[in-house]
Amino acid sequence: MKRISFFLALILPALPGLRAAEAAPATPARAAYVMHFDGDWKIAGGLPEKALLIGLQGLANRSAPRFYIVHAEGFPWEITGPLEDFYARKHGVKFTELKTTEEALGHFAQYAKGYVVWDPTMMPTMNVAYTIAGLEDAVVVTPALIPLAERHGLKPIDDLRGRYAGQTDAQIYTDAKRRYWARCSHDQLILLGGQRGDIRIPAIADWGVRQKMFFHDLSANPIHADELALEKQFFSELNPGGTIFGWHVYGKDTEEQHTTLISTYGLKMEGLQSLPNLSFNCQFGFTPGFKFTNHHHVAPEAKLVAEPKVYLAFVQSDGIGIGVWTKPGRGRLPLSWGAIMGWVHFSPAALEYFHESATPNDYFIGGLSGPSYMYPNHIPANRFGLLMKEADDLMKVLDERIFEIMDNSAADGNLGNADLTKETVDRYYAAFPDVAGFINGYGPARTRDLRDGRPLISYDYYIDPRRPREEVTADLNELIALNSKRPYFLLVHVRESNDVNSLVEVIKQLTGPVEVVPLDTFMKLAASNQTYVTRYQDPADPKHFKGY
Amino acid sequence: MKRTLLKLLLVLVLLPLAAVAGDPAINGRWRLDLTRSTVLDGWSTADVAIQLADSKVGFRYDMTWHSTKVAASQTVDTAQAVDLTNFFRIDQRHMAVYAQPKSAARVQATWIDGGRTLRIEAQVPLETSQGNTTMRIYQEFRLQEGNAELVLIELHNTRSRPLVYHFTKVAEAAAKK
Repeated sequence: MKRISFFLALILPALPGLRAAEAAPATPARAAYVMHFDGDWKIAGGLPEKALLIGLQGLANRSAPRFYIVHAEGFPWEITGPLEDFYARKHGVKFTELKTTEEALGHFAQYAKGYVVWDPTMMPTMNVAYTIAGLEDAVVVTPALIPLAERHGLKPIDDLRGRYAGQTDAQIYTDAKRRYWARCSHDQLILLGGQRGDIRIPAIADWGVRQKMFFHDLSANPIHADELALEKQFFSELNPGGTIFGWHVYGKDTEEQHTTLISTYGLKMEGLQSLPNLSFNCQFGFTPGFKFTNHHHVAPEAKLVAEPKVYLAFVQSDGIGIGVWTKPGRGRLPLSWGAIMGWVHFSPAALEYFHESATPNDYFIGGLSGPSYMYPNHIPANRFGLLMKEADDLMKVLDERIFEIMDNSAADGNLGNADLTKETVDRYYAAFPDVAGFINGYGPARTRDLRDGRPLISYDYYIDPRRPREEVTADLNELIALNSKRPYFLLVHVRESNDVNSLVEVIKQLTGPVEVVPLDTFMKLAASNQTYVTRYQDPADPKHFKGY
Repeated sequence: MKRTLLKLLLVLVLLPLAAVAGDPAINGRWRLDLTRSTVLDGWSTADVAIQLADSKVGFRYDMTWHSTKVAASQTVDTAQAVDLTNFFRIDQRHMAVYAQPKSAARVQATWIDGGRTLRIEAQVPLETSQGNTTMRIYQEFRLQEGNAELVLIELHNTRSRPLVYHFTKVAEAAAKK
């Protein structure tokens, strides 16, 4: 304990979020504005105004947290409403609602110097416009919104209509790189991907505008050689340890390809392109006196002995804040949560909100694979130690003892080869001397180990939220039958949109001596009797994507 | 007398052989009807093409998962048990259960129900988190009345709930669709 306290004393000054928390005054009341968005993100519908408002949010929040957005039911991040309440309750923010874009411009046009026009028939121009918006303090408008901007005294700064007619994405972003990249942040980059077709959800654009990032949606798919080459140029020119915010483009490339590419450069990935309000969130530290206290169930030095039974542990690792957290049933089962550690830096209040609302059955773990989402088999050896030091430091701040790893670089979506090489496993054991253990995978995987009483266990099952519960029950019972030695350690990944209440019913139907335990207890028990086989990625195992 | 006995013996031998011949209506390509089948896990679509050749029954499975395409072929023999490496089954891919590479499954195939049902029994070597194990699989491919539908019922010694897959016949030209 003394060792940890000493360690924290060393690292706290290095963490900006925590510095803010320590320096925070006793929560003086402050005013801010809030808008409630509907769910219309169609290019031909609600997107142009939302794109304007989100960019405006980034400008308005440059020097103070002034503008917050609450998203409609069904939006990927379901915490914007509860977090608004948290800011009001814990930070004394008095929100005034803005009903229209006109009203928002009335309040915040003062933070813009003009507008830049993008062409809704050529979507990359929206990204270029956002890049310009950050550099020139502009709002982004479609031609139809020019009169609205001008009514608020904004003048044209740039007009992208026609500039890129007939050009490929690679050509467009090559030109934009030549014009703007030198003035953009070289620590952070926005990958404004996500949906294709008739909708876009650029909710993270406020953050990119505020931080003067370069926006793009280049492909990491080798079949798009020009785009891939250009993206590699960006990554090679980012500062070491840089972060890519946003998400890959659905249908153009895959999550696996993009995360592999980012990891190959030792960079960090923070999803998604729909992550909202970072320009607001980043300006609040932890409330005075707040300290992360995880619901540990077993002391670090404790030794448990497994009985001849089946031990189950459940983990939810899809970006906390998506899905299950706000749904009924949470707390009925021991469930571990992959908290997004990077939020210590740019969304501390959200982490505090999760900890504050955690039940004794909610247990936070570190990850994913590093200080943010990465594929460790591809992280350069000379970057691995530094990145994991950062992750280890964050785990100590967040009072976390178990680290989650995921490498889907060779997988096929959430299936297939999600294993770690022995070299990668060696590196993790060396980099995290204080963790109680590691878990691995997203879908099932078969990397397992036990060293110094610290297990590395992969998921044996992934619960697809669409799979009928009677089939989930049969699947789990079949795993229990196939793994007939006792104890059997059955680690289950719960996809974010699963319903906890239905899991409770599944557990009632399991056969044999089954016990659901918290993850830290599970790891201690797994350390006591290794009935699982030590295994690493076999070079002969099939790889869906072989890398770059 | 000798001649009569010989004839009788011949009848006794040939009758079962005639009885076990598979109905050629099972030949062709069959497509999984997702709406009537056990929900697939980790697969989006499934086709199985079946081809009879004397006592042998050839299977070719064409599976997809989003953009991924997987094809697997195997041949069983109703005249004798065979050892098949990489025995193919429509697996639940979100379970950490893997085929043991290079290990062979002992497979016994039999025509029953007058050749309208092919019964397959296999001892399939698998790998789980606790190491190597064997799953006993029992399959029946049942040709339905009218010969336009085929039902695969699969039981495992480790699963109390049967897996039931309904297939409908499609033209071979549909293979690419």
